[in-house]
Amino acid sequence: MRPLRLPALGAFLLLTLLAPFALNPFWLRILTEILLWIGLAVSWNIIGGYTGYLNFGHGAFFGVGAYVTAIAMVHAGLPFGAGLLLGGLASAALAAFIGLPTLRLRGAYFAIATWAFAEMIRQVALLLEVTGGAFGMRVPGLLDPNFFYYVMWAAVAGTCAITYGLMERSRMGYKLRAIREQEEAAETLGVATTRLKLAAFALSATFPGVLGGIYGYWTTYIHPDSVLSGSVTDQMVVMALLGGLGTAVGPILGAVLLQAVSRFLWLQMEQSVLYIVFIGLVICVVVQLLPDGLVGFWARLRRPQRGGNGAA
Amino acid sequence: MKRRQWVPMAVGLLVAVGLALGPTEAQQAPVFKVGVVTSLSGEMNFGGNVTKRGYDLWADTVNAAGGIAIGGNRYKVQLVYGDDQSSPATAALAAERLITQEKVDFILGPYASGTTLAVAPITEKYKVPHITGSAESPLIWKQKFKYTFGTIPAVNQIAPASIKTLAKDVKPAPKTVAVIGIDDAFSKFAAQAFKDSAEQAGLKVVKFEIVPEGADYTPTITAVKAANPDILAIGSHEKAAMEMIKAAKELGFAPKAIVQHYGMTTPDFLKGLGKDAEFIFGSSVWTAALKHKGNDPFGTPAKYAEVFQKKYGTPPDYTEAASTAAGLAFEAALKQIGATPPLDQKEKDALVAALEKLNIKTFYGPIKFATEGDFYHDNVGLSSIALQIQGGKIVEVGPGALKVISPKYPMPAWTKR
Amino acid sequence: MELFLQTLLDGVLIGGTLVVIAAGFSLCFGVMDVIDFAVGEWVMLGAYTAFWFQEFTGGDPMAALPLFFALFFAGGYLLQPLIQRVTAGKRPHPVLMGLLFTFGLATVAKGSALYFWGFNFRSIRTWLSGQNVQIGITVPSLRFAGFLFGVFATLTFMAFLYWTRTGRAIRATAQDRVTAGLLGVDVRRISALVYAVYAGLTGMAGVLIGALFSIHAGMGLRYTTLAFFVVVLAGMGFVPGVIPAALFMGLLQSLTAVYLGSRYVGLALFGVFYLTLVVAPKGLFGRGS
Repeated sequence: MRPLRLPALGAFLLLTLLAPFALNPFWLRILTEILLWIGLAVSWNIIGGYTGYLNFGHGAFFGVGAYVTAIAMVHAGLPFGAGLLLGGLASAALAAFIGLPTLRLRGAYFAIATWAFAEMIRQVALLLEVTGGAFGMRVPGLLDPNFFYYVMWAAVAGTCAITYGLMERSRMGYKLRAIREQEEAAETLGVATTRLKLAAFALSATFPGVLGGIYGYWTTYIHPDSVLSGSVTDQMVVMALLGGLGTAVGPILGAVLLQAVSRFLWLQMEQSVLYIVFIGLVICVVVQLLPDGLVGFWARLRRPQRGGNGAA
Repeated sequence: MKRRQWVPMAVGLLVAVGLALGPTEAQQAPVFKVGVVTSLSGEMNFGGNVTKRGYDLWADTVNAAGGIAIGGNRYKVQLVYGDDQSSPATAALAAERLITQEKVDFILGPYASGTTLAVAPITEKYKVPHITGSAESPLIWKQKFKYTFGTIPAVNQIAPASIKTLAKDVKPAPKTVAVIGIDDAFSKFAAQAFKDSAEQAGLKVVKFEIVPEGADYTPTITAVKAANPDILAIGSHEKAAMEMIKAAKELGFAPKAIVQHYGMTTPDFLKGLGKDAEFIFGSSVWTAALKHKGNDPFGTPAKYAEVFQKKYGTPPDYTEAASTAAGLAFEAALKQIGATPPLDQKEKDALVAALEKLNIKTFYGPIKFATEGDFYHDNVGLSSIALQIQGGKIVEVGPGALKVISPKYPMPAWTKR
Repeated sequence: MELFLQTLLDGVLIGGTLVVIAAGFSLCFGVMDVIDFAVGEWVMLGAYTAFWFQEFTGGDPMAALPLFFALFFAGGYLLQPLIQRVTAGKRPHPVLMGLLFTFGLATVAKGSALYFWGFNFRSIRTWLSGQNVQIGITVPSLRFAGFLFGVFATLTFMAFLYWTRTGRAIRATAQDRVTAGLLGVDVRRISALVYAVYAGLTGMAGVLIGALFSIHAGMGLRYTTLAFFVVVLAGMGFVPGVIPAALFMGLLQSLTAVYLGSRYVGLALFGVFYLTLVVAPKGLFGRGS
């Protein structure tokens, strides 16, 4: 098996890099969306999966990135790249700022506090002049699907690579997982938990900031109800969980599967809202039957002789 | 170990998804394929379904007559839907699908302004003509999209009619007005239009409140009641308007007139509020009682209302009429250029040119799109009418010569009805 | 002065519509450790049930409240084992799993309501609708009745919790599931009972909310949000804190709307919400679990 993996990964990367040459703009748009969600789910997993701090306001960073990028482009006349950089930095800074008080909370309290914080940001966006409030913002558009596909691809690949490198392969990752299993114990063992959590939080917020910036430029119109809506976070959480929390591959799988399924249902039932029911049912069934996500399920399939719970 | 196994799995998944989604079958019969992007789910699904009814009625009527007559032949129309889920990103995706996958000849647009603003750049990119039968936000027209048109005048052209009527045609003339607007793009524009027109008419605006949708409206109504205005003007959709009027009744707040836009013309408003809907003012560009005459299959507003009632069991309001009219505009322009399906790019551009020159009379009234200014490509042929609910019916009360029945003013207290 | 008093009353009555929902929601968290994301959907289903009741019988849904309670009680009782299944045992992330499962349920409920009952906004009318009593300020009758009902139901519920054998078992379970189980409490039955009572109460509250506002498939989210808010303020799982917390939430809304401007209501709510969590995660009374 092992020698096959590297070529397989290479072939997969090559295939996705060549996608714009084979697909028309519609399919490319669907792929771009899937990439976007991979990036978001993976970035959520950094804080949610590895440290066990379930961020229910992650979407706020996506929205902040989208707005900062758009404002930099529209009001300050900056080029897209500069706006994107600002968007990512602003999200990270915001995370660092709220992280200190918020990360003191545990479990459900942290989840609810981040959720309330995200709603607060949405309200601020509705009140401000510079965001256009409820009128939303038109972002000067560049209608080149290939450009967005590659930009998104690069951003998401970077997100995944950094996550993988830091979480699976470094001391930081082990320490973060120690926090998830037993925060007090980790602390007594000399892990600087606060600093580490804060770093992970800011890191996890940078990626949605950048992705949000690309998203705004891509759809050409952003509104508090589209980029700051609670459903953005909901979707990330569901994807990460569906695939398997705290694993490098889980959120990617979850994002691909959920986004593909929901777009498939949307295409098949163009006149029906039944797809909402189906998505709800998928979530219920997965939670009931695959509590450790698809990755765990896969592991269990591979090693039936051990029985029990294959996800370590 | 196991974490590396995702590669074959992901590839397999992608292939499976690609196969499952496969190419959709193409229809070869000579029909006009018309894309419809609108909100069939999500927060805007009410409005989305309203526009859908209007578009459906147009298509059904055309097809019942055998199709659009061009050069001696008749070509049926086939509507292909794309649900925008009330989200701009999905709206753009839906437009992209209808254009590149379904190869539609032209597009009937979304209900809401935000989704329309996401669809317009896509139709611009592919140079596909697009008429929205509903979006009323002035933001759209200021962008000067070449391929986007609209049959409903912008909200700041419609909403002021009732304020104008109240300022000029009732005795004793009201002096003060309070405005409440819901915090969404459309309603804020409506509220602003109420405020501006009231100030122009010499009324004093004693309160101007923007409220988030979904709030409990009692405190806002309490604050407005304390300002004691002669007129309460509400910029919102029907749901918020119903809840505010319920709250006003609960709090015993009966100003001399209540003005609302948009919602008082929808059947749900009348049904939901029952007798409490009496005396409420609103505005519209179209009602079944208007005396328009057109050479379309409906001919008159009354006939349209009859056909609509028969099909859907409820009376139409102006959004539905405008959506049907969007179809009629395409039909008339197609006849003028004599193009047959499928349209090639030259014919699509000719269609846009024909739409720009269009000047037709329909059951909905005249359709003529502006070709310059702040309302670029919006229908400017219509005049706005002030309405009031009297005896469970919506009647035309002004302004000026458009009056059919005199407005009832002041509104009696809630308990004296 | 009149404006101030009226504003206070508005606030109290806004809080009153939420007391029952929040009480059940809070207990549900205390006993089952489940944050029920579908709380607003119980409200929505309650409102729709009342609407169809009125549509078919022409009767006043207020008169049939016990019927709705029984209906939703049964629904909750049957559903609870499924929720129990994902949160109990050795599964990882029980809180998240519970949240997610109820999120899935909420999505199914919302989608089905939209599919079966369409996109129209429905209204119900009760004999108190639109009535009011003047006592210098205006007391809206239906809201006041709702407030009384909410407080009464919550107090009854608390009396049951504190003075009965079953109530004691529930509180014991809330404190420590395992020990309660060892001491002979049938934890499963208690959990199912709590969830059933909660569903029944919330469904009844839906009837009232349906009469005050308008009924549609997406109406639930507002109540999920507000229930979260009240329960966090009260201290999660601390039922007696719910009444003052709900009143606080209502007053915050009405005072902000009248004296600062309605557009700031959302920011004030979520700002206070977030700050409460950061400063006093155990709620205003420091008694949350």
